[in-house]
Amino acid sequence: MVTITVDGKKLEAPAGANLLDVCRENGIDIPHLCHKKGLSPVGVCRLCLVKVTGMRGLAPACCTQVKEDMEVVTEDEEIHELRRTNLEMLLSEHEHNCLTCESNGNCELEDLVYRFGIDTVRFPANKEKMPLDDSSLSIIRDPNKCVLCGRCVRACREIAGRSILEFSGRGPRVAVIAGLNEPLDQTACTSCGACIQACPTGALTEKQARFQGRNWEFHKVRTTCAHCAGGCQLELWTKGNQLVKVYGVEAEDAINKGHACVKGRFGMDFVNSPERLTDPLIKRNGRFEKADWTEALALVAGRFTEIKEKYGSDSLGAVASPKNTTEECYLLQKFVRACWQNNNIDWCVRFCHSPTAVALTRAFGAGANTNPINVDEQTELLMVIGLNLAHNYPVGADRIRRRVQADQLDLLFVDPRKLEMTSYADLWLRPQPGSELAWINAMMHVIIHENLYDEAFVRNRTEGFEELKRVVTEYPPERAEEITGIPREKIIEGARRYARAERAAIMYGMGVTQHINGTANVSGLCNLAMLTGNLGREGVGVNPVAKQTNSGGCGDMGNVPNLFPGARPVTNMDANKMFEQAWGKELAAESGKTLSDMLLIPDNVQGLYIVGANPLRSSPNLNLIQQVVAEMEFVVVQDIFMTKTAEMADVILPAATFAEKDGSFTNGARLVQRVRQAVAPVGNSLPDWQIISRLSEQMGLTADYRHPSEIMDEIASLVPPYGGISYQRLENGPICLPCPDPDHPGTPILWKEKFNTPSGKGQFYPAEYSPPAEMPDTEYPFIFTTGKAIWHMHTGAYTQRSKVLSGLAPLDILQVNPADGEKLDLRDDSRVRVISRRGEITLPVILTDCVEQGTVYTTFYSDVPVNLVTIDALDPVAKVPELKMCAVRVEKIS
Amino acid sequence: MAIESLPDLEAWQKRVNEEKTALAENIRVVVHQGTCGIASGAGQILKAFQDARKTRWLKSVVIQEHSCIGCCYLEPYASIIEPEGRSTLYAYLTPEKVNDIVEKHLLGGQVVAEYAVDTDTPFFNRQEKRITELLGQIDPFKIEDYIFHDGYQALAKSLRMDQEAVLAEIKDSGLRGRGGAGFPTGVKWTFAFQAEADQKYMVCNADEGDPGAYMNRAELEGNPHALLEGMAIGGYAIGANKGYIYIRAEYPLAVETLENAIAQAKEFGLLGQNILGSGLDFDIELFLGSGAFVCGEETALLASLEQKRGTPRPRPPFPAHKGLFEKPTVLNNVGTLSNIPLIMRKGAEWWAAIGSESTRGTKVFSLTGQIARPGLIEVPMGISLGEVVFDIGGGVPGGKQFKAVQLGGPSGGCVPARHLNMPIDYESLKEIGCIMGSGAMVILDEDACMVDTAKFFLEFDRDESCGQCLPCRRGLPLMIDMLERITRGEGKSTDLEDLENLATTVQKTALCALGQTAASPTLSTMRHFRDEYEAHIIQKHCPAGVCAALFETRCRNACPLHQDIPGYMALARAGRFEEAYRVIKQTNPLPLVLGRVCHHPCEQKCERQMLDEPLSIREVKRFIADYAYQQGIEYHPPQKDPRPEAVAIVGSGPAGLGAAYDLALEGFPVTVYEALPVAGGMMAVGIPEYRLPMNILQYEIEQLKKMGIKIQLDSPIDNLEQLFENGCQAVFLGVGAHGERNMGIPGEELPGVYQGTEFLRQFQSGRPPAVGQKVVVVGGGNSAVDCARVARRLGATVRLVYRREKRDMPAIEEEIAAAEAEGIVLDCLSQPVTIEGQERVEKLVCRKMALGEFDASCRRRPSILEGTDYTLEAYTVIESIGQVPRTETLAQSGVQVEKNGRLRVDPYTLETDRAGVFGGGDAVTGPRTVAEAVAAGQRAAFSIRQYLDREPISPVMARPDFEKYQIPLASEEEPQGKARVPVKESDPQNRINGFEEILHAYSQDEARQEADRCLRCDTGR
Repeated sequence: MVTITVDGKKLEAPAGANLLDVCRENGIDIPHLCHKKGLSPVGVCRLCLVKVTGMRGLAPACCTQVKEDMEVVTEDEEIHELRRTNLEMLLSEHEHNCLTCESNGNCELEDLVYRFGIDTVRFPANKEKMPLDDSSLSIIRDPNKCVLCGRCVRACREIAGRSILEFSGRGPRVAVIAGLNEPLDQTACTSCGACIQACPTGALTEKQARFQGRNWEFHKVRTTCAHCAGGCQLELWTKGNQLVKVYGVEAEDAINKGHACVKGRFGMDFVNSPERLTDPLIKRNGRFEKADWTEALALVAGRFTEIKEKYGSDSLGAVASPKNTTEECYLLQKFVRACWQNNNIDWCVRFCHSPTAVALTRAFGAGANTNPINVDEQTELLMVIGLNLAHNYPVGADRIRRRVQADQLDLLFVDPRKLEMTSYADLWLRPQPGSELAWINAMMHVIIHENLYDEAFVRNRTEGFEELKRVVTEYPPERAEEITGIPREKIIEGARRYARAERAAIMYGMGVTQHINGTANVSGLCNLAMLTGNLGREGVGVNPVAKQTNSGGCGDMGNVPNLFPGARPVTNMDANKMFEQAWGKELAAESGKTLSDMLLIPDNVQGLYIVGANPLRSSPNLNLIQQVVAEMEFVVVQDIFMTKTAEMADVILPAATFAEKDGSFTNGARLVQRVRQAVAPVGNSLPDWQIISRLSEQMGLTADYRHPSEIMDEIASLVPPYGGISYQRLENGPICLPCPDPDHPGTPILWKEKFNTPSGKGQFYPAEYSPPAEMPDTEYPFIFTTGKAIWHMHTGAYTQRSKVLSGLAPLDILQVNPADGEKLDLRDDSRVRVISRRGEITLPVILTDCVEQGTVYTTFYSDVPVNLVTIDALDPVAKVPELKMCAVRVEKIS
Repeated sequence: MAIESLPDLEAWQKRVNEEKTALAENIRVVVHQGTCGIASGAGQILKAFQDARKTRWLKSVVIQEHSCIGCCYLEPYASIIEPEGRSTLYAYLTPEKVNDIVEKHLLGGQVVAEYAVDTDTPFFNRQEKRITELLGQIDPFKIEDYIFHDGYQALAKSLRMDQEAVLAEIKDSGLRGRGGAGFPTGVKWTFAFQAEADQKYMVCNADEGDPGAYMNRAELEGNPHALLEGMAIGGYAIGANKGYIYIRAEYPLAVETLENAIAQAKEFGLLGQNILGSGLDFDIELFLGSGAFVCGEETALLASLEQKRGTPRPRPPFPAHKGLFEKPTVLNNVGTLSNIPLIMRKGAEWWAAIGSESTRGTKVFSLTGQIARPGLIEVPMGISLGEVVFDIGGGVPGGKQFKAVQLGGPSGGCVPARHLNMPIDYESLKEIGCIMGSGAMVILDEDACMVDTAKFFLEFDRDESCGQCLPCRRGLPLMIDMLERITRGEGKSTDLEDLENLATTVQKTALCALGQTAASPTLSTMRHFRDEYEAHIIQKHCPAGVCAALFETRCRNACPLHQDIPGYMALARAGRFEEAYRVIKQTNPLPLVLGRVCHHPCEQKCERQMLDEPLSIREVKRFIADYAYQQGIEYHPPQKDPRPEAVAIVGSGPAGLGAAYDLALEGFPVTVYEALPVAGGMMAVGIPEYRLPMNILQYEIEQLKKMGIKIQLDSPIDNLEQLFENGCQAVFLGVGAHGERNMGIPGEELPGVYQGTEFLRQFQSGRPPAVGQKVVVVGGGNSAVDCARVARRLGATVRLVYRREKRDMPAIEEEIAAAEAEGIVLDCLSQPVTIEGQERVEKLVCRKMALGEFDASCRRRPSILEGTDYTLEAYTVIESIGQVPRTETLAQSGVQVEKNGRLRVDPYTLETDRAGVFGGGDAVTGPRTVAEAVAAGQRAAFSIRQYLDREPISPVMARPDFEKYQIPLASEEEPQGKARVPVKESDPQNRINGFEEILHAYSQDEARQEADRCLRCDTGR
């Protein structure tokens, strides 16, 4: 710390800190426009000029680092006049029409002009009016209000890692342009909106929010994003009962530091959608009729009781949702276990990350991210596997891209498809889909044979090395090359890079897990990390990237057939007894049915309660599932929109969105954060916790919670990792699990000392490579694979109701390699039939080298039921279907 | 091939030496081919020599291509160096001249004096060539040539020293950055040396971009290895092993030269790994800039080198701490680095032996603009600006007045004439609001408008500004807007204050030097030429005749009477002389007079001079006036309705008559009071007959009387009150300057010593004094020349004693020439000290003068040279060293009078301190010209009219058109080169015998021919 004197006042600050920020934190507000914390200082607006003793001329405070004994004068008559003249120049530069400006009341220029009392401008205004760029669905650029501070340019470069916006021209012709001076929608802009948030004036604004409200009319609430599992902190701006715009929370404790992606910033308008379900609906004679809650809940409770009595307790099943709050997830499984006395509850994790839970638990002792979801500053190398990072976790991808560009991070990318991020990668390995284990084993082969492994870590902290060595010895890089198609040199180079990095982290996605050997794949990655000692420290680890916002909470709350909340097996009698006591009900002690069991096996359940899930779109081999569900006696769907699944329901219960309720989400890396109500639920819809509570009461379980905080208190008392969590603590910021008691600071990094296995040591689970369930053949010559898109979540059920998101990506399109396209006589926009052994779909085509010859790819967010084609072959351990690959035939429709 | 050690280098030098000695046995023809030489046709010259060598079998002649030696004004040129050492410089070469030289010099052994340049002149002998010494002397494409001249010895020497010792040497030399800011190089290097880093860089800024600067280009084209050696020494001193030269792509020859030099240095092992076996690795890479001026700013240059947008960033951190790729970086200019080998080889003490106190060494300047000898010169720091401009550069060509030097390009400022004695160094320049900059000196003459100049540089900076920082991006266009308005005549009284405020804000708040200094040309011209700004704003007048919106044509703009010159030229061309006369008379009450004695500033500005010679405007006018006179054509514009307010005019000289004319046109009853018995003031009693015949003058005055103007002779006015009491409502004082300053030397009281005015007055009154055989006239003005010529006509031999040089004489050049033709002897640089005689003057003791510093009029101030006294015999001495107004009695009437007797009036409205009293002409300005006096009278008349109409008196004069006239259209023919029609004058030998007019009017044909030369610049306006 150093002491400086500012305007005669002594201030303490860390040496080298930014003078402007130091002054601001101490209540000295130096005028500025181009500076924004979090962006590199450039000193171009020339408004923060101050006098620093010993320095020639005036110094820009934003570019001045504090030094011991520095003496600063932030304002005197001369400085005041210079600033005033500069502000007048700025006002004369363009037309600043405040009357209809979206930023009126939230404009830094306006504040300064008011502060300096500038009521007339001595200089003639530049009357040349420049055209707006309103090409984008999300962002309006008004160059007439631009003060050329460059904050958007830097935000685009330094926050979004993209440089879509740049300066062009010189002198008075300097302007911010997009791309090569193109309309914004013609550029690679992803509509993250970082530029809007950085803009001090109304030059960049949200298109959809135009004329929807002004700063002083908005009610602003901090909450957690409802889309992916990143846990971004957002501020919802509402007017009346409408959500109008969204800002990224810039607070220190916000994981996203103000950033957001297109979904977070522009994809929240589904909350206001006129298509929302507003009343309970009961299907009578094949048609839904509005009902009141009493009638609907009585009907549901009555039918569940009937079925339980008719077919036995085991004939009821429930599907939980990672889009609901942790409190709601807790209540649902409590309802199932206490009211139905079975463990037939599961959630969509079954179809995506169930192998992660299994593999990580058996290797380390818990199925969770070992390290924070943000790649730590310390990470030297990041290996990304089977994960379209820029689309699955855009905010994180932006940060990673920026660090790669700044040469602070090596990126090793493994993916069969050419993705945006592969162009930034230092090394890109391109395996055949489904061949992961071969190259993972080969890398370990190289690491062991070149003696690059962490011998001490292996000796002291793991078990099973000899067996691992035995298995991987069989995978020399040449063999892996044959299986995977990755040149052996690249495998060797990747292995060396990963092993030699002081701190190497792994991030992976469904490309690893959605295979019949998904569990073995994840184990392979665990082995790789243990072998190189990349665990239990900052900047390392094995980090699955979960799909949905509350993946952490949903899993933690035991919405699975075999575990109670807190990951205690239902077969564990101590745990069983404890919950029986707490809930005052007798509980089943054997594992229940998985989602696959319930949906893929006919007649396995008769009554199904689906909360916030859309399995009739997201599950493999849809034809089969549709048949299974149709044959069930009674299906209840609780959701916010009429989904394909809801259409099959007997009763629909209208739920509230995240913006309409309180609660908490636990993100993909164990971070617990608050969800706060910003608007009232639409119509007669209710928050899920209230619906489940009322249903529980109907079925004889006391559930008289007045507020979700009371549910959290109950969770804290029963679930040890949540032992220290309370709403009171969450007000002060997020807490990372496990947090066993109120004084515990939380645990961002797992396995620092020991693992949670019986022996306390990490367990190697080597496995042999086995080919996917269905390989291409002459009849079905293409590999069919699917993946995510940045614009959509949850089969598009919500996001297709957002103007911006649906506008940006209304369709699913089949990616076909141009060489294949030529063979099939396809052009962009040709329509094709994609036919598998299970079904067929029709899609438009785009020819792109993003896919290799012989592979076709699509997303699954439109009306096209893509999963008619996919295969329901299961991983034997985790029961995940091999959604990532099957064999298809592609036929042109002329 | 590679030189691996110092002995290697020495061996090499020895070998080169031998080769050179062998070569010196031949005649060498060196064709100087810099970019400028090539542009002016040096390629043809080279080819001509080569062809001659072949066809004429000149086996012993070696033809070499070297770069230029900086004499831009001689392009294209070549040197011939003969074995015995004789070196001849031939200039303005053409292939024909080359053939001549081949014939006479190469074959005949005779220097062709006609084409040879005398190099024992200030341009050559006042220079101190150091870093430019080898320019043109060596082949820039041969590293051997550089090695022959001790090249790379400095590097070898440095490598045997500690880094600290090298740094100390540079510091001791006092070398300061030649790029413009003048930061001590040794200090900068030491910062970088002390900075801890795994990598450091040495960067050379060769992005020379100032308008008018080309020294770096010449240095690189002529001697690239000096830079490379300097960089290598710098690399060693600071611990950098990588150097970059950031050079503008617009210098293709320099780039080619450097590329070759780097390749050769690498081949020779003088760059690269383990240089001279010392262990030093140092490599240099060229980086071509893309033409952004702002990339000359160091942080922008580094950003550009990093392949980023070339925008500056705030400092600190300074590049020496955090520069290229965030590593410590020294960034020096070409000139700075080229000095390094000299310092290291010859020692700091030798290097620092010349220069000014604060700035040691030499500086290379480029002289451009309105200068007789444009070129590249290297002079010691501290040399005065006047020496550079007038001695080395030869001053302003075309007889025009020097105005200022624009130094430092768009970042610099203007140095006006009054600072010509200022030593050129960083501190002195800073004091007057200027900077050294790169060393571009643009010389401006009277034809440069300073407001326009300021605007030019601002526009340059505006276009080159990177635009990121607000004050530069917006402030410059706003300043330009203001200047634009001013040059359009739409300036407001608050503009100068606003402009200054804006300029200061930009200066104080812009991010980088480009912005901070962009306002300098404006601020410095406002500081030194405020009157010019005011002329634009207040009078809506551009004195230089540049701001086109403010005038119709340049000739008209320059004419004090604002005569419609193209108008009467067009009419004269058409033979419509009477109409032409009417046009003249619209604004000119005295066409006969002014057709003879006008000092014709219009001709100085005549656009025709760009083609061949200026139009002979005065002579055409004289013809027209004479034509009217001879044809008995009488005309004056229609007068307005009579008004009751009587106006009194004191003095019937040109000022009084000018006022009377305009007032009479406005309808006022005017009475002119003349103290002398003759009307016409100085025109009558000061201008001799042979220039202005009395009958002509009186005829013209009679014409005025016909308009109702009353002239009362022998009526001195001692009391203004009386005029008012007698009913007049306004008074104009045009009393002229009829007094004469005394020299204040012994013997002035002797009989036979006359004052010039008195002498002329007596002569003009028909009572010429007896001047005897020998007359000495003292002075250099028009009056002195008139006295001399009158005395000559009275039969005497006449000497004119003047204390400065002939070129400094204020008299009209053609009058001086005429006097000399008439046998009058000029004794310049001489001053009388005593007048001796018993009864009357017998002799005059004079003393020679020496020229010292420059004064505000750009003339060197004379000072007495003791011990040079000489005696001139004289029967008569006429002192004519300065006329002064006689205003003692007026001062008692409540009119303010300056110490020198001049009336104090508002410079625009000519109001005196007393309401209703106005003054103008010589009485206000001191002795000037007839035209200016007439104009002053007319201006006063305008003020009087407003005064009597109780209107506010406007500083802008808007004289009404009294009559419309039809001007013929311009000819559509393309003008052909055609000299002016000569004016016939009487033979000097004959004319001194009488007082007949010397100049003869054009004939009708001649007048029409001459008028036909008018380019009709008024067309389309």
